[in-house]
Amino acid sequence: MTDTRELVQDRRAEYAFHDDIVYLHESGRGLSRQTVEEISALKGEPDWMLQLRLRAYEHFEKRAMPTWGGDLGRIDFGKIVYYRKPSEREEKSWDDVPEQIKKTFERLGIPEAERKFLAGVGAQYDSEVVYHSVREELSKLGVVFMGTDQGLKEYPEIFRKHFGTVVPAEDNKFSALNAAVWSGGSFVYVPPGVEVPLPLQAYFRINGENTGQFERTLIVVDEGASVHYIEGCTAPIYATDSLHAAVVEVVALPGSKVRYTTIQNWSNDVYNLVTKRAHAHERATVEWIDANTGSKLTMKYPSIYLRGRGATADIISVAVAGHEQHQDTGAKVVHLAPDTRSRIVSKSVSKDGGRATYRGAVKVSPGATNVVASVRCDALMLDAESRSDTYPYIDIQEDDTTLTHEATVGKISADQIFYLMSRGLTENEAQNLIVQGFLEVFTKELPMEYAIEFNRLVKLEMEGSLG
Amino acid sequence: MSTPPLSLPFLSEAIALERSRTLGEPDWLRDERVAAARLAASMPAESNVLFTPYFDLRPMRFDEIGVYADAGVAPDTAAELPEGAAAYLHIRENAVVARAISPVAREAGIFLGTFAEALAERPDVLRAAIEGGASLPADDAFAQAARAVASLGLLIHVPEGLSLGAPIVLRWDLGTAGRGVVSRTVVSVGRGARASLLEVMGDADATEAGHAQSLWWGTSEVVLGEGASLSVASEQDFDPSTIAIVNRQSRIGDDATLELALASVGARFHKSRIDNLLVGRGSTVRQVEIGFGSGDQIFDLTSYTRHIGRDTTGDLLSKGVFTDRSRGFIKGLIDIRRTAIGTDSYLGEFGMLLTKKSRSVTVPSLEIDQPDCRRAAHSSSVGPIDEGQIFYLMSRGLDRDTARKFIVLGFLEPVVERIPLPEAQDRLRGLLEAKWPTVLPGAAAA
Repeated sequence: MTDTRELVQDRRAEYAFHDDIVYLHESGRGLSRQTVEEISALKGEPDWMLQLRLRAYEHFEKRAMPTWGGDLGRIDFGKIVYYRKPSEREEKSWDDVPEQIKKTFERLGIPEAERKFLAGVGAQYDSEVVYHSVREELSKLGVVFMGTDQGLKEYPEIFRKHFGTVVPAEDNKFSALNAAVWSGGSFVYVPPGVEVPLPLQAYFRINGENTGQFERTLIVVDEGASVHYIEGCTAPIYATDSLHAAVVEVVALPGSKVRYTTIQNWSNDVYNLVTKRAHAHERATVEWIDANTGSKLTMKYPSIYLRGRGATADIISVAVAGHEQHQDTGAKVVHLAPDTRSRIVSKSVSKDGGRATYRGAVKVSPGATNVVASVRCDALMLDAESRSDTYPYIDIQEDDTTLTHEATVGKISADQIFYLMSRGLTENEAQNLIVQGFLEVFTKELPMEYAIEFNRLVKLEMEGSLG
Repeated sequence: MSTPPLSLPFLSEAIALERSRTLGEPDWLRDERVAAARLAASMPAESNVLFTPYFDLRPMRFDEIGVYADAGVAPDTAAELPEGAAAYLHIRENAVVARAISPVAREAGIFLGTFAEALAERPDVLRAAIEGGASLPADDAFAQAARAVASLGLLIHVPEGLSLGAPIVLRWDLGTAGRGVVSRTVVSVGRGARASLLEVMGDADATEAGHAQSLWWGTSEVVLGEGASLSVASEQDFDPSTIAIVNRQSRIGDDATLELALASVGARFHKSRIDNLLVGRGSTVRQVEIGFGSGDQIFDLTSYTRHIGRDTTGDLLSKGVFTDRSRGFIKGLIDIRRTAIGTDSYLGEFGMLLTKKSRSVTVPSLEIDQPDCRRAAHSSSVGPIDEGQIFYLMSRGLDRDTARKFIVLGFLEPVVERIPLPEAQDRLRGLLEAKWPTVLPGAAAA
């Protein structure tokens, strides 16, 4: 065992770095009505957005902390910096991006990825989109892919029509917080009938101690259009706790198809409390492909409201919980219309004292006839210090619903390890291979270079796990 | 969001003390009541936030129910032993009205009586089973409420080594509308002993039960010694205006086995919480539970299976069928502790809805701290009656409605067949069949 331990090194440190950035504006620590007004004024927002922010702030102040899920007791809202703007304006071309920030992105491999494969990049550095480009062909198709702040300015009608309709500020304490202080995120609009040929990608990062990041993403896909949006994130490691409270709203209009892929790899001091929700109208398909390997605590349950007849929901949720991590993740589907279909697949791995929780819900409302729904949850526990929970809610109010739910929890069998070791693998390599196989339902849905990156992340997680 | 504490007109420390005085209880039993009253007041009505979204006491009108302050034994309880039974106890409202024990069982040392009788005849058995609140969940306000203010207490003791082939029959009848009884039933099965228990719950006189709610509130507190085995079957068929609340907790010792087959047909609101504590090495619980709801009935069925010892087995199956506007909330949790190496645990929750206004909620949860298990799984499904099965039965000459009825009864049969007495089995089949609505959507076509 000792030999193996020496051979495999924990390479996480390579991804944990901190650049010294001169922030042009910082909101100071803590949250007040004044902070909210200041953020809105700095952005030169219309009055309706300021009013929305203020109402959300009032609600956030009143709303109690959730008593379920993970331990939120150590979040100190008074210590968080709610707004930071690293450079004055959004950049159109890579050359204009400040050298320091560029270096950070280069270490993450963004420009390379862009050159090779990707349709557009919106890289979020702390709170503001600093770099943005959309390929010319997409612009020609009329596809809008820009920072959310810019979207508010340039597409006020689409923006106002949909903003806050999928995730109202009052939905929960953290959606209220986000609505009050949101900054950055992506705004995507795909016009009717347009199929975006390549995935749209945005890289999110948190930098700066105690920086809260409150990005807001709004994706509107018009009738018959389709798009694949990819979000992945890494963050430097700090000693004190960071908060990430994002809101993602997806509107899938009739006949459209939206896939939203996330690889979440925040550093292990981040509270990742995210509300992701989609509305699927008639015959629309929404897919959340969601993986969580990082953060201290993640509470995230991508949800889909099937509002139109014949709409389809597909959610794949994957979580890896290591030392001192709690992944409280899952999925939620609400069937509101007839002939709707849904599928939830959840895979979780817990190890080294980590805790993986699946929390999910399937609801079939009165009027949603002829629904077919399935839920599958599998959990793998690598040791007895870890914990695995499964909390599914199934609420059916139509008599012709067909719903199935299956869940299992298990460990890697000694036989499997023995077999692989007899083929020349080390114990760690064998475990790693089995875990990668277990998570394949997720990886196979990813574009190739993401699959490679994800497998590398899993490997890094596994390498720290010997003992 | 946590719920407020349980607020009942008949629950307080003062009432707990008064009960103890009225019944002339020893100090230790009085202290039990006081501790329970304090516990009940200190916690939310539903202490598990997992289940609070589906916790609703609104149908209950506790303020209007006159709960009996005392309980006792009728002067003449001599009765004939029902055929096939080893012992028989009949409780009507707050009194034991009939009792019979077969000569063989009596000779072997079986005990069947009230707490007052047990304190005289088997004080150590009773005290060992319940002292310190060991026989009820400390985190359940309803269980603690019963422990605080129960007026009727029963002990069933099956001594070490005794093997009873025939069941002990416990019959509960509510009588007067608007009255309520809070009781505790303690079942202690000694090392290597084997027994079975059949509970039959209903209303003595259905015409007497009017619109005023009646209340049956009871417990089943089971202790199984090493290698013991107990099989419990229950048929609940209260009047549609009755509130039925039950806590069942079983501590299952080394190599002991508990079997539960529970059927709920009646009551306006049936709330049940089951705690199976698999403490002993190699202990086993097999539980099947069914609810058949109609009208405005609500079944709130929660079960916790806690794997604590090594090599324990849990096999749980819950099935609900709901017509009209009835609702089922079937909540379950498998809890595998770090000490529970070698666990085999399965939880199945299945619902069938027969009408558009009915509703089925299932929450089959797992909390696992020990991965070294034989199996840890749950499954759940909700579906309409299979059209293929209907077609098959219709091709055999049944009309559509009868075919549907057969399929539903077949769905529930796994519980029925585990009821010990043939007579009680047939009675349950009759009850289930009687639930079948006379007119069903789609039935007219046949």
